[in-house]
Amino acid sequence: MNMALGSRGGWWPALCVGTAVTIVAVYLLLVASNWIYLGWHDTLYFFSKSRMWERFWLTVWTSTVSTSFSLLIGIPSGYALSRFRFPCHHLVASVIDLPIVVSPAVVGAFLFGVTTRFPFDWISEYYGVYIGRNVYGVLLVQFTVTAAFCARLMKASFDMIPTRFESVSRSLGASPMRTFFKVVLPMAKNGIIASMIVVWARAAAEWEGLMLFVGATEGKTDIMPFAIYLDWNGGMMGWVTSMSIVCILMAVSAITAMRMIGGRSNVW
Amino acid sequence: MSGKRKRRRIFHAVFYSFAGFLFLYSAYLFLSNLDQLFVTEAAIQTREITSWGDDREVLNQFGGGFWKDPYFWKSLNLTVVITLITTLIASMLGIPTAYAISRYRIPGMSVVEILFSSLIVMPGSVIGICLIVMFNYGPLWKLQNALGFRFAHSIFPGMVIASLVLSFALGLSAWKAAFDSVNPRFEHVARSLGSSRWRAFRTVTFPLAKGGIIAGIILAWTRAMAEFSAVLFFCGTFHELPASRFSDFTRLLQMDQADWVSVAVWAQVEFGNIEYAFALAFVLVLIGGMSVYVMHRIGAKGYVW
Repeated sequence: MNMALGSRGGWWPALCVGTAVTIVAVYLLLVASNWIYLGWHDTLYFFSKSRMWERFWLTVWTSTVSTSFSLLIGIPSGYALSRFRFPCHHLVASVIDLPIVVSPAVVGAFLFGVTTRFPFDWISEYYGVYIGRNVYGVLLVQFTVTAAFCARLMKASFDMIPTRFESVSRSLGASPMRTFFKVVLPMAKNGIIASMIVVWARAAAEWEGLMLFVGATEGKTDIMPFAIYLDWNGGMMGWVTSMSIVCILMAVSAITAMRMIGGRSNVW
Repeated sequence: MSGKRKRRRIFHAVFYSFAGFLFLYSAYLFLSNLDQLFVTEAAIQTREITSWGDDREVLNQFGGGFWKDPYFWKSLNLTVVITLITTLIASMLGIPTAYAISRYRIPGMSVVEILFSSLIVMPGSVIGICLIVMFNYGPLWKLQNALGFRFAHSIFPGMVIASLVLSFALGLSAWKAAFDSVNPRFEHVARSLGSSRWRAFRTVTFPLAKGGIIAGIILAWTRAMAEFSAVLFFCGTFHELPASRFSDFTRLLQMDQADWVSVAVWAQVEFGNIEYAFALAFVLVLIGGMSVYVMHRIGAKGYVW
């Protein structure tokens, strides 16, 4: 009775499953193509080089720093977007989303324009911190993209918690701050940690903005996805494919960790 | 009582200020660059040295005179047409796939979910390199040689493939969520009343999931418009190529010697035509802003970029 092909209209589930299996096979081939190209021996050779691991640690620490800044901004603004109702909140949410919705190369061009202006020129003049063609530029690009991303994920995490618990806590006499720290944050803890991992992986994947805004300094600003582009221009296919393998492993392990914690990547 | 109200007001002010910071940062980032569209005397002077192309007078107008340039209109035409084709293909393949993933027990489902979720946080350069390695080496390369036909660095299959990878992954997550939100019970009732499986899908599940499916289509289109690195790696730029390299059909569709818009932004900045690049960039910002506003209005609750 439950045989898919036996019953009437059974072509439809067969078509669906067939499409799904084909698509998954194509995507698996796409992700695995670097290993197939490079082979086991060359993979080990490139993985034993220090140039690879310098870039890896640069990627890890820049994305960790920018993720912590994004979390600092993103958690409260995600809560505000989730709970407060104010006029034109669709418009405000759209403007906040703009850096992740437009092409990241465009964001790089806009950052290039904005860092010669008011707060940034002031910072470089009075504090001597130049934000541009150095690692601060990398952090700014990653922050710009991941802050919006983080606010969006946090909004989704807070949306999943019923407002009832807050109402109960407030009616029992707790202040709003106390409610937020003692009720909302502990309930959203898993969602926040899962989102944190996704935000970190997204920060480590950001490179398009660097192309126009920061540029390449060997060993200083070439985080791994950007180094892939630079080495590809240099024709070093071995480095390119081995670094792609590292990036794929980073993304896959981040998503696996997120799923083990129990978060969801799609926040619908 | 007044103390409570004061604390509440402080609480609201703190959280509003964080959200307001993000809002102002984003608005400032995009609006403060409007003056880049106006040409300064210094830009004209430098362009005399680093100029490219024949008509350099046009570039000294507002926004690089973008509305007079056929390259602008051809690029916009190319990008919109290719993204529409991509969205069509993605929805034709993605809606059955999402239905299968959502309804049927397929072994290794967690691997599939990890695969599609990790594509979203994978760097675009890695996607581009994967495409290049997949199509330009090994069996697919031999197949292309046998057919006398190239996927990479071409407009029609190349750009569609490059923008399809992430657009499909994003759309799939939306469509899967749309089907997950429909209770399978309704479908079982329709089946027990004598509908075939296809009819049960068409008349029961599909209308119930319609909102989510439309949101997923908009999402897939927006992601295809925002594609940059995969197109850059897999297709490159076409503006500098001679007109003879393009087929008659491409010329008929007004797509010859035109670039993907976000790649064109990058190329124009590299050429030194900052005003022109920002004109293209503002077009992309308008398109992206409008589509994300529509997504918020129709209540597409969330998505991951």
